[in-house]
Amino acid sequence: MLGALPAADAALPAIVDGALARHALNGVYYGFILFMIASGLTIIFGVLGVLNLAHGELYALGAFSVFSVVGFLTGLIAEPTNTVTAVVFGIVVLAGSLAAAAVLLPVGAAIEAVFVRPIDDRDEVYQLLLTYGLLLVLVDVMKFVWGPAPLEAGVFRELNAIPTTELVGISYPSYNVIVILVGLAVFGWLVWFFDRTKTGRIVRATAINREMSTAIGVSTDRTFTLVFAMGAFFAGFGGAMVSIGPSTAYLEMGLDPLVLSFVVIVIGGLGSLKGALVGALLVGVTSRVVTPYYPQLELAAPFILMVLVLLVRPEGLYGTWGEIE
Amino acid sequence: MSRFLVERDGRTHLRLMEGMELSRNEALLAVVGIGFLLAVPDIARVTPLSFAVFHQGILFGIAALGLNLLLRHTELVSFGHAAFFGAGAYTAAVLASHYDVSSGLVLLAASIAVATLLALLVGYFVAGYLDIYFALLTLAFNQVLFAFVIQSQFFNYSDGLRVRPDGLNPPALFGLDLGTTAYEIVLYYFTILLLVVMLLGTWKLVNSPFGRALDAIGQDRTRARFVGIPVEKYVWIAFTLSGIYGGLAGGLFGMVQLHVRPEPVLYAFVSGEILFMAILGGVNTLAGPIVGGIVLVYLLNIARFYVEYYHALTGIVLLAVVFFLPQGILGSLPMIGSGLERRRDDPGLFLEDVKLVLGSLRKGVTRAITTVRIIIFGVN
Amino acid sequence: MLEARELRKEFGELRATDDVSLQFGKTEGEMVFIVGPNGAGKTTLVNLLTGLLEPDRGEVVVHEEENGSTIEHEITDVPPADRVNSGLVRSFQIVHVFEEMTVRENVRVAVLSEHGRTLSMRTVDDGHEDVERAVDDLLEQFRLEEIQDEVAETLPHGDRKLLDVAMSFGLEPEYLLLDEPTSGVATQEKEYVIETIVEASEADDVTTVTIEHDMDLVKEYADRLVVLHEGRVFREGAPSLLETDAELRRVLLGVDE
Repeated sequence: MLGALPAADAALPAIVDGALARHALNGVYYGFILFMIASGLTIIFGVLGVLNLAHGELYALGAFSVFSVVGFLTGLIAEPTNTVTAVVFGIVVLAGSLAAAAVLLPVGAAIEAVFVRPIDDRDEVYQLLLTYGLLLVLVDVMKFVWGPAPLEAGVFRELNAIPTTELVGISYPSYNVIVILVGLAVFGWLVWFFDRTKTGRIVRATAINREMSTAIGVSTDRTFTLVFAMGAFFAGFGGAMVSIGPSTAYLEMGLDPLVLSFVVIVIGGLGSLKGALVGALLVGVTSRVVTPYYPQLELAAPFILMVLVLLVRPEGLYGTWGEIE
Repeated sequence: MSRFLVERDGRTHLRLMEGMELSRNEALLAVVGIGFLLAVPDIARVTPLSFAVFHQGILFGIAALGLNLLLRHTELVSFGHAAFFGAGAYTAAVLASHYDVSSGLVLLAASIAVATLLALLVGYFVAGYLDIYFALLTLAFNQVLFAFVIQSQFFNYSDGLRVRPDGLNPPALFGLDLGTTAYEIVLYYFTILLLVVMLLGTWKLVNSPFGRALDAIGQDRTRARFVGIPVEKYVWIAFTLSGIYGGLAGGLFGMVQLHVRPEPVLYAFVSGEILFMAILGGVNTLAGPIVGGIVLVYLLNIARFYVEYYHALTGIVLLAVVFFLPQGILGSLPMIGSGLERRRDDPGLFLEDVKLVLGSLRKGVTRAITTVRIIIFGVN
Repeated sequence: MLEARELRKEFGELRATDDVSLQFGKTEGEMVFIVGPNGAGKTTLVNLLTGLLEPDRGEVVVHEEENGSTIEHEITDVPPADRVNSGLVRSFQIVHVFEEMTVRENVRVAVLSEHGRTLSMRTVDDGHEDVERAVDDLLEQFRLEEIQDEVAETLPHGDRKLLDVAMSFGLEPEYLLLDEPTSGVATQEKEYVIETIVEASEADDVTTVTIEHDMDLVKEYADRLVVLHEGRVFREGAPSLLETDAELRRVLLGVDE
């Protein structure tokens, strides 16, 4: 399950002291990846009321796309040889991830407009069946385009040549630090988007009261498509960041993050971005810290955490029942 | 009119028991369905139909029948019913391989008992939750159980256990030690018998006042509470009942496969599949989950031998069901019947259908393109 | 007799119910109306009495006559369903009925519950004749026979309100708490709804506690009046207070005269 990013630990230099801190940092890294998937899932659920089971496949699609995009980009510039070229390289890779995730915008929009919208008024169980069908189709689309074997973009080690953590005296892979920073930036952007922009406020209003938004002239159709596309974008971005990083892109990679993202949004509270972030970090850190010491808890830890949280707070940590906050 | 035939609204109904009547079409469908099920072993001998996979489909269908009790009536979506299926299968496996229990009926009874206890326990915790919280909590219990089993030596990790009491032969059925083929056939007909019993029992349950109370809970919990229905308690009972179906099906599954591994019976995605079987076959029908079980299991297991992209094939079938059979396979039969009748009278309607599909596809794509344009170039 | 003892409920800063003590049904079958401006805590009080909300402090008590003496039952912690089964029933301001069932099925669920039949395994149309008779009576009493086979969600608002009330009477209440039974009902039908409620409760000696905004109805039908204002009991007495008490009129109208 949590072996979705198995190479993360292996790629790290073995540090005997500070092992706990290292595990915790791995957890934070993993948490931010989860956040990128879960934020989209929670926004889609909050606004459309659709539990998108195909969301993990959008994440996987991002991972595969980045392989193609970065593969293309890295063919254009020299391999990094020193810190400066490594930074340049890092920027190119980030741009590549964004470009790969951009592939997901039309994909998400199309899924919403073509498949999800026509059954908007049907019982929610059909939306589950529909998104499950899409999940299966997407798996084979990736198999068709990229083949059944795992792919590795393999730029992780070069990026680690950027000495990000040496200034503060610990040795931690720069790549993971970059992901953590990018994750923070994504969170910041989402908060800014929903708080400060007109479009973001329209989306929130639609989440709270659909009829009212329609009454004041908001096109809910357009909002829904936008939200779906955004959700797909961030899932794809998460997948891209993982895939150019320490892990490979493989066909089954979407399943475990999907299930864990459910756990994350339920822990955090449905429709809450802050909740998704806190939930993702909790799940990430718990699983990464618990696993090395109690390997038998690896699979169960996130779920035990979720049950505990729900027993204490039945609507999650920041539950607002579908309103985006 | 005989004892079994009654007139209702000018139509003849077949009366099976007090309060249970079938219309002509329903009776016909039931007879054809049961006839087909009985003939499957023979059909399989002369056609490429896979008997074993079909049998598996029925068993998952029984689990889906139990899940549908919650889904259709209390309107709760469970993502964790593989827990009971797996508990049933593993009970049979543990008793057979660790304790050399050789009687098939004892294995089955124990499977049901263990699954019932598990459902009682899980149901106690989840009965007060709703919607996605209910779904995710059931999923959580399922995953914790899976994690426990796959890491336990007692359950032989991911390799699983064999359901061969003496390490060689299958369990005895009704005191008979049967050869492989005879064992499979007898077990199949035993399954069909149990299936019919389960269907009749389910029918009775959902048409009883208790079934009405569950409907009431599903439609408006607050009102249900304030007509004096102890909501949590009844959900708990319904949950436990639905777990029993899973236990029975799982126990039989163990005896059919003779080998139980965690992934095919306990993994969370199996729970999802059991849920989708119910929806696929028709949530609002009695036997729909069985049909859904057979179709989905068949697609997932057999399609891979014929097409490379079998996931996509299954996915497209599911999408087709969602869009063209809005009530699931069985639930949409009446609609298809009347639709075909109209089209037989007026073949021009077919052309209209095609136009309609193409038109809505085109509209969807146009909308998607517009939206992407807006996302990239800003709201106009 | 149903009694609220110093009930208090706070929502954050707001004290929606502020140490309210009231008694209902001192005389059996009395018809009490609760009035008050918006936000006075009327619905909160009903929610506390019926168990939809838990009070922060205070008690809900039922006094029962047994063998000539009165016994107190404190029911503050009793779950709603059990309160219903012991005769404390309510309806809702926003209609709560089983939307996908027909009118008849809706009423039947209530009667099955009242007859303690919800765990029965005999199918609904087999051997529950007493239930069906009670359903027929209720449908007749509330003049719902003609629409008994219509699905609840398709009904006009007034009929839904009546169905909601009919279900409540199907539970054979001793105390019936009605939260604005005429809200959203067309003016000319309000009288009809209240009239039906009065008839039914007089027939069964039901003590009713009704939240109502239409003062004409209150004047016409109330045995007793309770006025809530800012979470407290502001006045309690005969409906004639509405005519005589200037301060009360000011509170209800929300303006200075």
